[in-house]
Amino acid sequence: MRNFGIAVLSILVLGMLGLASEPGKLIVWCDETRAPALTEAAQKFTAAYGVPVEVVEVPFGDIRGNLAVTAPTGEGPDIIIGPHDWIGELIFNGLLEPIFLPAALLAQFDPASLEAFSWAGELYGLPYATECVALVYNKDLVPEPPATFEELIEIAKALTEPEKGQYGFLIQQPDPYHTFPLHSAYGGYVFGSTPEGTLNPCDIGLDSEGSVKGARLLDRLVKGGILFAGADYQTVTGLFNEGLLAMFIGGPWTLPGIHAAGINYGVAKIPLIEGNTPRPFTGVQGFMVSAFSENKILANLFLKDFLATKEVMLAIYERGQRPPAYLPALAELADNPDIQAFAASAADGIPMPKIPEMASVWGAWSDALELIVSQKLGPEEAMRNAAEQIRTLLGCK
Amino acid sequence: MSWRKIFAQGATVLALGLLDALGIWAFSSLLLRGEYWMAAGLSVALGLINWIYLSKRTYPLKYLIPGLLFLTLFVLYPVGYNIYIAFTNYGTGHILSKEQAIAQFESKFYLPPDTETFRYSVFQREGGTEFVFLFYPEDGPVLFARKGEVTPVDPGDQDFLDEDSDGVIDGVQGYRRLALPELVRNLSTLQAMAFPLGEKILRMTSLQEFSAYEHRYRYDPEADALVDLLSGTVYRPVEGFFTSPEGEILLPGFTIVVGWRNFFALVTNPQISGPFFRVFAWTFAYAFFSVLLTFALGLFLAYHLNNPYLRLRRAYRMLLIVPYAIPAFISVLMWRGFFNTEVGVFNQILYSLFGVKIPWLQDPFWAKVALLLNNLWLGFPYMMIISLGALQSIPEELHEAAQIDGASAWQRFWRITFPLLLVSLAPLLIGSFAFNFNNFTNIYLLTEGRPPIPGALTPAGSTDILISYTYRLAFEGQRGNQYGLASAVSILIFLIIGTISWINFRFTRALEEVSENV
Repeated sequence: MRNFGIAVLSILVLGMLGLASEPGKLIVWCDETRAPALTEAAQKFTAAYGVPVEVVEVPFGDIRGNLAVTAPTGEGPDIIIGPHDWIGELIFNGLLEPIFLPAALLAQFDPASLEAFSWAGELYGLPYATECVALVYNKDLVPEPPATFEELIEIAKALTEPEKGQYGFLIQQPDPYHTFPLHSAYGGYVFGSTPEGTLNPCDIGLDSEGSVKGARLLDRLVKGGILFAGADYQTVTGLFNEGLLAMFIGGPWTLPGIHAAGINYGVAKIPLIEGNTPRPFTGVQGFMVSAFSENKILANLFLKDFLATKEVMLAIYERGQRPPAYLPALAELADNPDIQAFAASAADGIPMPKIPEMASVWGAWSDALELIVSQKLGPEEAMRNAAEQIRTLLGCK
Repeated sequence: MSWRKIFAQGATVLALGLLDALGIWAFSSLLLRGEYWMAAGLSVALGLINWIYLSKRTYPLKYLIPGLLFLTLFVLYPVGYNIYIAFTNYGTGHILSKEQAIAQFESKFYLPPDTETFRYSVFQREGGTEFVFLFYPEDGPVLFARKGEVTPVDPGDQDFLDEDSDGVIDGVQGYRRLALPELVRNLSTLQAMAFPLGEKILRMTSLQEFSAYEHRYRYDPEADALVDLLSGTVYRPVEGFFTSPEGEILLPGFTIVVGWRNFFALVTNPQISGPFFRVFAWTFAYAFFSVLLTFALGLFLAYHLNNPYLRLRRAYRMLLIVPYAIPAFISVLMWRGFFNTEVGVFNQILYSLFGVKIPWLQDPFWAKVALLLNNLWLGFPYMMIISLGALQSIPEELHEAAQIDGASAWQRFWRITFPLLLVSLAPLLIGSFAFNFNNFTNIYLLTEGRPPIPGALTPAGSTDILISYTYRLAFEGQRGNQYGLASAVSILIFLIIGTISWINFRFTRALEEVSENV
């Protein structure tokens, strides 16, 4: 109901400001981080063609919900930003329009990022960044990143002294997104594929052998005194920024905080688990065009000629520190070790499932991890329960 | 007539005029958008306001009508809309109305495999607004298009020009060619233009090209069916989706009225009804103990701060209101950190003093204790403030009389102060109970309804209250958002709170008799 209230309020406010999609004027909804880079590109567009472009700051978490409420009434934006895993729900709701880019331009994007924004053979977004987690470590405590997970556990055990508030290695819990590399290294998955290559919402792999093995590894970390229950995002990043944590699994969004804290850090791929590559979820951020826009070709033109440029992509990178999906911009950052490490980790990644059924997975999966970490349930039973819960929720029995 | 009166009447007329101007503007834009019901409602409201402020007979209504209008707008309308939503399948996949979904399908075109594409030039009439086009096919004569008709150009026609003398027509008499920036400026208008070309439709594909498209879907209102003109499949509306005979659905779906289904689901679906009573019991306990504990502490502090012999009374009062002044959003998140098992401040103190670590947010029992403690911190200042006010309204003579009759301090509190306090505070306590019954923020920020229950087949945690459980059901279950179901549950919650409040108010009426007897 809170979202609904906010949506209603925003309709009132946006309606009064007259920020509705209208012919001959582009409206872009984006969060405050991306806004400055976009405003610059928008000014260039206006200078070139005399077409006004309005960049409206909307809190990131509200963009999807507000689009659903405002677009069908003709009050919505022409372009929004968001992650690729929104597109399933947005297409289900009839809110997105495919975009068309010339082949030469498509070739300048990371193919995985284009794949992430594709649905039923059509492209629904212009990607600008890929993000995923990797191993972030404190170089003063761990000079060289471990090459294998066994090595990581050894180092972590040696460095963990809870009495002194010192910790060796943490994964924020209960958090499926950050724990998925453990599952995926053993071949664990969330949704299996249909013969046509799309995701099958009834093939739920949380209790597959690989996922359970990953959960056992998590259980081992807890039993070994390395992980503790209640290590959430604030705790993990807080400890690391105070120099009290040697290693953690984290994404590029933790870097600004670490820079500010002045920690001597490094980023590396998550070490091999029994010789297998841990595969993190990759999320791709991009620009999408509303199905209710009256300026679709104009919006395409803006995306193609004014946003898909090195300057704009680098300006967006400056603000968010996520590896660009636009290859010329990524090449520009070739000597940035953090970006290269996150990009390398993303190269092993699995795109986050974008089907709307994913909404039912997070809760049950988090619950399973929580029960394992607090030692209330064994890994096998916890994962089986989670999978059963999701199957019941989705009516897959 | 005094100046004051003239001024007052002038102000009324001016304000009404402004309101009417605004209303007429809104009325016309609503009509343009086809929102006829809204427009009708607006005109009725506007007429009513004018009548009330201009007529002498309706004097008292002048003071009531603003409140009533806001009541309608912000309370009655949302409640009515909520009830309507509870009877629909509004949610992910069913956001649009059927008309909107059909319009979207009918505006879908496809490019047949061997379609023609044309480069084009666009021209605007000198001093006018009309756009005309010249299309250049791969071979054959240049085509001239205006107002929905396309004709081949006769090279000898005096109306057309060959400006660069290359043998190809590239100008139109009386029209001026649009340069690129101007073209882009008018792109949205040009994009919406379509020209018939035989069976096909010429539409803009990109900035450079027009192509001959064909309609993909046609809606047959007689049969209430959508025909896929490419494959010939007939899709009929089933459960808010256009569905083929083989069961294939077309996206997007649309909203339909589903009757009582959402309400039946509350009873028949074991996913929802299974944990209902457990969740309900905890919701009740949470609200009850929150009120009891905050009231006990608030009253205790107020009673002592009311003592005129206490020094620095004002300073204490001010300090004790601080928890109330900090937004709950911030303080709950801070408390979440305090309760952390390993690094939280509570456990660090407990560990250094007694060598124990309490699993605050991991154990169902301690998670509930943590919630109540947190709510005690957030809630006691409010209780203290209202108790201070109520205490001061109790006449001092009553206490003096009781003291002379030999009543002890304890007796004086329980027999005189407390019953009299309850008379004025009971409605506020009921309000506080209802508030905590729906205290989503506190639960969601501190525990998110966790810890989970081992082996449960529904994602309801040990500390979920009804409203947070509704949130999970509606927004974290299945595929995306189920507003219809959420509205149905919120109506149920309203009925529960309404019943409890009604019983409570009956109970307070009994209390009022106490005050009448004093």
